[in-house]
Amino acid sequence: MLKYDILLQALVSGILMGAVYSLVSIGLTIIYGVVRIVNFAHGEFLMIGMYATYFLWAYFGIDPLVAMIINGPLLYVIGILIYKSLFRRVVLASDFTKIFLTVGLSLVLQNLALLLFTANYWSVRTFYEKMVINLWGISISYPRFIAFCGAVILSLLISLFLLKTDLGKAMRAVAQNWEVAMLMGINPDRIFMGAVGLGSAVAGVTGTIIMPYFYVFPMVGAAFVVMCFAVVISAGLGSIKGALFCGPIFGIAESLGILFVGADSGLIVAFLILLVVLIFRPSGLMGKGKL
Amino acid sequence: MLLEIKNLSKRFGGLQAINGLTLQVQEGEILGLIGPNGAGKTTLFNLISGVFTPDTGEIRFKGENITRLKPYQICKKGICRTFQIAQPFREMSVLKNIMIGAFVHSPEVNKVEKEAEEILDFVGLEGKKEMLAKELTTIDQRRLEVARALATKPKLLLLDETMAGLNPKECDEAVLLIKKIREKGVTLIVVEHVMRAIMSLSERIIVLDYGAKIAEGEPEKIRNDEKVIRAYLGEEYRRAAGK
Amino acid sequence: MRNLLFNWRDPKIYLPLILLIFLLILPIFLPTYFLHIMVTIFVFAFLSVAWNIIGGYAGQLSLGNAAFFGLGAYGAVLFTHYFNIPPWIGGVIIGGAAALFLSLLMGWACFRLRGPYFAISSLAIGEVMRLLFLHQRKITFGAEGVTVPFKGDSLLYFQFSSKVPYYYIALVMLLLGIYICWKMERSRLGYYLIAINQNQDAAEAVGINSVRTKQAALSLSALLTAMGGVFYAQYIFFIDPDFVFSLGLSIEFALMAIVGGVGSVFGPVIGAFLLRPAMEITNALLGATYMGVHLIVYGGLLITVVLLKPEGLIGWLARRYETLLKLLPGLKEKE
Repeated sequence: MLKYDILLQALVSGILMGAVYSLVSIGLTIIYGVVRIVNFAHGEFLMIGMYATYFLWAYFGIDPLVAMIINGPLLYVIGILIYKSLFRRVVLASDFTKIFLTVGLSLVLQNLALLLFTANYWSVRTFYEKMVINLWGISISYPRFIAFCGAVILSLLISLFLLKTDLGKAMRAVAQNWEVAMLMGINPDRIFMGAVGLGSAVAGVTGTIIMPYFYVFPMVGAAFVVMCFAVVISAGLGSIKGALFCGPIFGIAESLGILFVGADSGLIVAFLILLVVLIFRPSGLMGKGKL
Repeated sequence: MLLEIKNLSKRFGGLQAINGLTLQVQEGEILGLIGPNGAGKTTLFNLISGVFTPDTGEIRFKGENITRLKPYQICKKGICRTFQIAQPFREMSVLKNIMIGAFVHSPEVNKVEKEAEEILDFVGLEGKKEMLAKELTTIDQRRLEVARALATKPKLLLLDETMAGLNPKECDEAVLLIKKIREKGVTLIVVEHVMRAIMSLSERIIVLDYGAKIAEGEPEKIRNDEKVIRAYLGEEYRRAAGK
Repeated sequence: MRNLLFNWRDPKIYLPLILLIFLLILPIFLPTYFLHIMVTIFVFAFLSVAWNIIGGYAGQLSLGNAAFFGLGAYGAVLFTHYFNIPPWIGGVIIGGAAALFLSLLMGWACFRLRGPYFAISSLAIGEVMRLLFLHQRKITFGAEGVTVPFKGDSLLYFQFSSKVPYYYIALVMLLLGIYICWKMERSRLGYYLIAINQNQDAAEAVGINSVRTKQAALSLSALLTAMGGVFYAQYIFFIDPDFVFSLGLSIEFALMAIVGGVGSVFGPVIGAFLLRPAMEITNALLGATYMGVHLIVYGGLLITVVLLKPEGLIGWLARRYETLLKLLPGLKEKE
């Protein structure tokens, strides 16, 4: 017999995790929307954020929530560097080139991590890691809740950024039509650079806030990113609203999958949803993706 | 009646591209389709060939309703179209381009190759069969476009501004080719801006403006029709007045 | 007067023939370790040729061909393990059918769309397969993997104690794969795939059903890849989800074709002959101490090739080959 509170627990878990998926997916969808590159190395940006958080904690005792302030700019810079050295060369190239460039990058980053940090699972300790919030008969772990709040706040900030600020509007303009945007005085190269930096920073910060309840290991990004791809495609490539909406859906699907089917099946459930979406509503649940 | 279009409409956002259009095409005729820029001629071709689905109305070919079919299905039924801006398979040879069209009806490579060679000669591309499509001159690319369409053995061929950018001599060659095609039993709808060509080619002309039919009849009658003159002059006038 | 089917004096004919004969007699004097390397080269070349059909000719970049590979492998092993059914049925027929079904599902989901959907979905499918087989340990033995028990040399159960039979089977498989690809290139399917790749709108306007065409390519690729999986299982005698369904494998199939030349029959073969030995050497030298180095090299290579020479080496090599042919003695066909 299924107990009501177990179900509720799974749902809440799913929403908490879903917000995190949303945030990473937003980063991914910004990069695709603006630069038209599917960043297969996006999970590795998350991974870098997580390793950076680990080292900041291990060597300087910095708590992950504080580390956000460092990792955000750090990953932003890394994103820009990767754009300048690699992505910029393929902005006008074929899908084939773009895809295999980021796939190659992903391979390199993952295995560099393997080489440097070994395959071991590392984690950080925080003073709040064991704390729990008890609500409506279910318990929510503090780190997950903080991550959830962080994800929601950041998602809102990014949405505001894109809607209200000049730079954000420029990004949306470039996402729609970079040639016309260029004619209106926007420098597409700088916007592309900013978008990649932003997407990378978002992924890195997400990695930071999930460290309190996650392990970092070289392949962590790979596991995460497949889920995020499912979210982004279901939402509609380039749609931020969609990513916000679909993240929790997939989070819940994953939770329910784990509850009803078993561990590791979360991704399978998510993938089935993705297949259904692709077959019946290929342009994504939110329609044609526009930033 | 080969092609029948009833009450066709298509809207793109705020623009009504085709507005309640009704027309027929008789077997064996060359129907001219003219109208100012933006009148909806290419949109009509896109609707007939299945690239777009109309909002209302129906298209019947040989009595069969083809309104919602996909482009490749419509091609198999016997309607083929050329594109305003030629769309050859650029990295393929001329012969292979034509063969692609011929493959619609048969998978045998040898048979298709022979058919393609015949069509190659028919349109006047002899000697160029191994050239890559991207190396062709404009008029030859147009020929290739027509050749590839002919290879699909269409009953109805839609030609979209085949003569744009051609000089008078090339235009005359094109007119001759189109007449030759009709002699082979292919019905044609020809969209053209080059007036002398369309007037000499068509037995009947339909004039579109703002997605609707404003005149229909023999070339002489059309040439002197008030509405037609105004539609074209109107366009010139609008342009001149800087609107 | 035209004599015989072949003009034996023409280097275009006798050079490949000499190469073939060389390959055929190689097992006689090659030590076992190098024989093993040759077998893996043949198998990977075959798998890369299979990838090329969907990735190169159809232009649909599959990052999940390992899904088909694994289905073939597990089909072969599990049906033998549980029901004593020979891998020709368990792997080739059942595993092949499963791979085919999966390919139809993927095609249905993705081929009506344009853009990177197929690449992403194929990646996801590979991962899902891996997790599925990892998770269902009651049936598939999970992460421990399955060992193929050796019951003695048998063609029926496709297992041999010496590497030599495997060598010849792999070589035949590769030649078959090359032949299939070569035939496909010259068939209507081949023409249609290239047309879709160059201009899908124009292709559809002249009667090409691009969904069905791409599906044909994917199904063919899936079937061949599954066959490769069957061979692999019966050769290595051990399979586990983390290898047979790995993204690394999927990328390797693609990488070989890319380095050699996508969209050409021999590109993947060249890629395999270059990369496989290099990988074996790197692994032998560094593999134990430095894990993942060869994958860093693969990633770097992928980036480099894609940026600098996306069409692969085949063009350059083909020209060198032509030059070689001209220099060799013999009675050549008139130009």
